Amino acid sequence: MRTANEAYRFRLVHWCSMFVVALSMLWTVDSVGAPMTFNTALPVAEGEFVFREQFILDKSGDDPSGAGRDRTVWSAVSVLGYGVNSDLSLFTAVPYVDKHLELINSGSRRARSARGLGDISIFARYTAFKNNFRGGSFRVAPFAGVEAPTGADNESDSFGRLPASVQPGSGSWDPFAGVVATYQVLDFQIDAQASYRLNTQANRFEFGDVARVDASLQYRLWPRVLGAGVPGFLYGVLETNLIHQEKNQSAGSDDPNSGGLSLFVLPGIQYVTRRWIVEGGVQLPLFQDLNGTALEKEYIVRAGFRLNF
Amino acid sequence: MTRVRRLLIVGLFLVFAPVAAMAVSPTYKLQVDGLACPFCAYGVEKKLNAVNGVKAIEIDIKSGTITVTMTDGATLDEAKARTAVEAAGFALGGFQNLSPAAPGGSE
Repeated sequence: MRTANEAYRFRLVHWCSMFVVALSMLWTVDSVGAPMTFNTALPVAEGEFVFREQFILDKSGDDPSGAGRDRTVWSAVSVLGYGVNSDLSLFTAVPYVDKHLELINSGSRRARSARGLGDISIFARYTAFKNNFRGGSFRVAPFAGVEAPTGADNESDSFGRLPASVQPGSGSWDPFAGVVATYQVLDFQIDAQASYRLNTQANRFEFGDVARVDASLQYRLWPRVLGAGVPGFLYGVLETNLIHQEKNQSAGSDDPNSGGLSLFVLPGIQYVTRRWIVEGGVQLPLFQDLNGTALEKEYIVRAGFRLNF
Repeated sequence: MTRVRRLLIVGLFLVFAPVAAMAVSPTYKLQVDGLACPFCAYGVEKKLNAVNGVKAIEIDIKSGTITVTMTDGATLDEAKARTAVEAAGFALGGFQNLSPAAPGGSE
């Protein structure tokens, strides 16, 4: 039998963790292009495929509610891109997630977890503007898609039904859209993106909508001087993500301990060849102005590869 | 004397055979605008390799040029090259026939 205080604390854990889940889902879905945390406007050749695998360790903690919440999410996101023609590309992102939440309840530490297929996203990107010039290009490409409720959203353990933050899937159809611009020359590449995700209701719960602005700089560190042929490029990567999420809703009411504004920075590294790319980086919070006792992000480690085939 | 003549013939064959082979493998130089990273270069390479008669492709990313060598007797016209380059998302900025007897290309 829980006291009112414990029940309230549990609800806080439940709702605040959902915010974290929503953010991590958005990141994984957008992880398709040259930057590590969002999309790019660079083309996929007509009739050709590109594949990307990214492994993500997403850690949250530093619980302001005193409930000792500690959340860890491991994800493996597989993305396949196909060039319908030189301007239109289709993408699908398939996440496999392993979510783990620990918290102190009734004086003892409790762990709740689930793993499995997450929500699959499909989206299209169209190059609305491009200017190819000698040694570089500038492109602008709007994109739109939807995240389908393919992940389980009704998992339970010995304590009962798992909170939405620990469910592998959201249970809802969540459309998203945005625009990405890429300026690329031989020495560096800059990507910038603005996007919006409209989260919808499932199981009488709705994650807050997410608006975000992202920027990425990839600077060629090696070779410093280009020789003949197509050498591999070693890029230093610096990315920022400004993310605003509205409050979650449960049974039609706003959760005062969810949503807020966050700013992240990711220093990373990429090695790019004709056929493959390997990359890695750590995403760190620079600023988090979250509502109430929403759980704060500690860090996100990203590592992966891409294949051209 | 006959032996010397035979050696001379074999020697001439060895010297001129590669030259003759080169003469029947037309080579073209394409200026590809928009090419600025190795991963993107492979997209153009695949599209050009799919063109009938292409034997070899050599990309120089610094200059943004692609040298295309055709199989014996095959030719590459500018329209085909443009289609392949544009299918990869880039633009053909120049087309030059490097074969010795070619009248030249466009830039």
